[in-house]
Amino acid sequence: MEQEQARAARISALIYTPISLAVALAFFVIANAMGKYTATAVYGGAAWVFLLSMIVTMPTITPWVKSRLKGQA
Amino acid sequence: MANKTVTLPVQGMTCASCVAHVEKALGQLDGVHLARVNLAAGKASVEYDPARVGLSRMEQAVSDIGYEVGREQVTLTIRGMTCASCVSHVEKALVGLDGVAGAVVNLAAGSARVDYFPGSVTVGDMKRAVRNAGYEAEERAEGQTALDREREARQKEIDRQKRNMLIAWPLAMLIMVGTFREYWILPGIVPEFLGNRIFLGLVTTPIVFGPGRQFFVNSFRGLLHGVTDMNLLYATGIGAAYFIAVLNTLWPDAGFGGPRATFFESAALLTAFIILGRFLEALTRGRTSEAIRKLMSLQAKTARVIRDGQDVEIPADEVEVGEIVVIRPGERVPVDGIVMEGYSSVDESMITGESIPVEKKVGDQVIGGTINKAGAFRFRATKVGKDTALAQIIKLVEDAQGSKAPIQKLADWVAGHFILGVHLLALVVFAFWFFLGYERFFTPDSSFLLTPGTLGEIGVFGFSLLMSVTVLIISCPCAVGLATPAAMMAGTGKAAEHGILFKGADAVETATKLNAIVFDKTGTLTRGQPSVTDVVVGGDLSDKAVLHLAAVAEKNSEHPLGEAIVRGAVDAGLEVADADQFQAIPGHGVQAQFQGRDVLLGNRKLMRERNIDFDGLLGKAEELEKAGKTVMFVAVAGRPAGIIAVADTLKENSRDAVARLQRLGLQVLMITGDNRRTAEAIARQVGIDRVLAEVLPQDKAEEVKKLQAEGKRVAMVGDGINDAPALAQADVGIAIGSGTDVAKETGHVILMKEDLRDVVTAIEVAKATMRKVKENLFWAFIYNTLGIPIAAGIAYPLFGWVVSPELAAAFMAISSVTVTMNTQLMRRFVPTLRREALPGMGQPSLKPADGGSH
Repeated sequence: MEQEQARAARISALIYTPISLAVALAFFVIANAMGKYTATAVYGGAAWVFLLSMIVTMPTITPWVKSRLKGQA
Repeated sequence: MANKTVTLPVQGMTCASCVAHVEKALGQLDGVHLARVNLAAGKASVEYDPARVGLSRMEQAVSDIGYEVGREQVTLTIRGMTCASCVSHVEKALVGLDGVAGAVVNLAAGSARVDYFPGSVTVGDMKRAVRNAGYEAEERAEGQTALDREREARQKEIDRQKRNMLIAWPLAMLIMVGTFREYWILPGIVPEFLGNRIFLGLVTTPIVFGPGRQFFVNSFRGLLHGVTDMNLLYATGIGAAYFIAVLNTLWPDAGFGGPRATFFESAALLTAFIILGRFLEALTRGRTSEAIRKLMSLQAKTARVIRDGQDVEIPADEVEVGEIVVIRPGERVPVDGIVMEGYSSVDESMITGESIPVEKKVGDQVIGGTINKAGAFRFRATKVGKDTALAQIIKLVEDAQGSKAPIQKLADWVAGHFILGVHLLALVVFAFWFFLGYERFFTPDSSFLLTPGTLGEIGVFGFSLLMSVTVLIISCPCAVGLATPAAMMAGTGKAAEHGILFKGADAVETATKLNAIVFDKTGTLTRGQPSVTDVVVGGDLSDKAVLHLAAVAEKNSEHPLGEAIVRGAVDAGLEVADADQFQAIPGHGVQAQFQGRDVLLGNRKLMRERNIDFDGLLGKAEELEKAGKTVMFVAVAGRPAGIIAVADTLKENSRDAVARLQRLGLQVLMITGDNRRTAEAIARQVGIDRVLAEVLPQDKAEEVKKLQAEGKRVAMVGDGINDAPALAQADVGIAIGSGTDVAKETGHVILMKEDLRDVVTAIEVAKATMRKVKENLFWAFIYNTLGIPIAAGIAYPLFGWVVSPELAAAFMAISSVTVTMNTQLMRRFVPTLRREALPGMGQPSLKPADGGSH
């Protein structure tokens, strides 16, 4: 049971982390492209966006992965 | 194997989303059919198939998502063990009980340490199991440990949050004074070092990582299991405010407000307000379960029973069925039973809500938990342990408090999905102010709402982050989680005080939407026992003489009408002797001889056959029959002597109850198997204008269904056993308690006493409860509804309003305060009936133990 949980957590992390990084990267690229923000604003903003994206995606992805794995079992 | 239901105490839940997570975790287990969580009670009620899932698996599922199932431990002293196999026997007996997680028996110490889930097994059950295995068991801990432990746990949480408040608030006030030392009269009295940003940072840090630590730890634990709750909102809010403040202090030119801004006060006050909210929630939870505690306190601790011809005092939970229990004046009745000897009056107000003591004589039923007044008696125990009326009432009230009204399910769903939505919104708000809003609308002289000073040199990142954080804080639906269950617990508890047991929160909600109420006639509106109503004489004999002769003739009759005549004569003070001769005339009446006189009693047809002319009384007879009464003709010595009318009479308060219900705007109907004429006569007397007559018992449910098809929400009031199908069919089935076996009663509401006016009280309590629920939900949501757009900066372009994180936290705390205070007002609720009897006073009937040692 614990192994299943750990597997679900690993798979989930492999999904939500790239998604959050992608959102933060998008923010970073847009902010840089606009060319009017300080480095603090761009890096800080990207970090905040990454954090909020993680908070949104973690609880969404994890149960979904768990239910998929349960369905396969 | 049959399904079972267990109630598990769950610790660590703080909000409605926690409820959703725990319900989901339990619900996903194979073998769990239904999981319902009550945040206010901190309990999860789980219906499961014991063959497929065990309690330990449920415990694991709950702990996997970051919460804990509260186990309790009890140490029993075991006597009679002599060897290692005894240890195994006792352990097996204990572990075999549902709800026991483990047992360790120590032969040398003669003890058993048992881990169990409170709510699913009692110490009494354990002692019985050990006794059945051939040993003696006794609880080592003293007193009512379960009750005390529950109180201790609640007190511990209150103390913990109080301790946090004592740290957070004084320091936060110091930070406030330091931050604003340049304003008002403060420059003259506040030392300069208090305004130093390093000092402010040093004072803020223990608040954030002391009292605020719980939010970081809990949210991290939740996130690890893919769970988001209120703690995450708090943690992100506090963390971001503190992070901005530290950055601005270390690098004043980084765009977080510059040297004149600090933001430490935001982090400090934010934490302080959240802790205040937590403290108030802990207080509310303790108070709403007051009714259960009061009911538990009614349980007697000891009982005096007769064993081997001696009075022996034993723990009340060890009384066995069939034992004779001795009750002295002033003592509490320990278990349910039937009086075998003696006479007394017993105060049953704590169980039935009946304020007048009830007389008890041989053959009467006594209820455990009630208090004997002046007399003394002995009774035979008929129900003990969890079968007693009090135990069943406690279980029913607990179940009701653990159930969910439809409105709460909706509120929980909203709150559960709110947090993700809020984080998404915070992301959108951040992006808007970062890319568009700041450049277009920001002005350097902007200041926080209700706060002196300006935002000054705050940059685009700092400003957008502030807006984003404030949205997170102000959106916390923390009060939403408490709004409905707190009011439901207060309402069902209040109903129990008046002898009204709601079996579920859905019954409370439905009772407020009723528009028709159907009363069963016999035994509900009426006494269910015919009695003599009229004696009309038609010859030389007086009415008493006619009644006396009729009673003598019927003395040996087993017909209900005959019994009514005999009872009527006895009630009139007449001595009913045996007839010299008696003969039943099947289907017609009886014939008897008494003191040389022939007495004939029967129907019209019998008199016609015997050529006895009753013409002079026929008019009166018809009049009585139109009034729904059954008329019997009495002839003495072959001549008409009089007529006797017998009818089922109304209960004392039926008419009043019907009138009160009609005043509430409900259509009141009567349902009966009687013929239409009799039924309408009774209906007229009681004030009911719609009668469903000649309905066979098995068709009553069908009639209720027809009313529902008319679009009505129907309540059915009747006997909990005979009218069971109709009660079950009704939207709200109200059973008049017919005894102490309340758990077996069908229906959604049970009235402990036979006063029909309690139907009115039940509806009033339900309406007051739902009013409180709606008020609470309004107060819980109004701050979010108004606060979120303002916090998101919708009013900033026009009015320059910026909500500071601490002001957002203050709004959130006010929301909790309002819900808490509003729920407490339910304690003042007094039903109309009680208010009329005792102007300006309520008379709570759930009294704490005050009945002497028993």
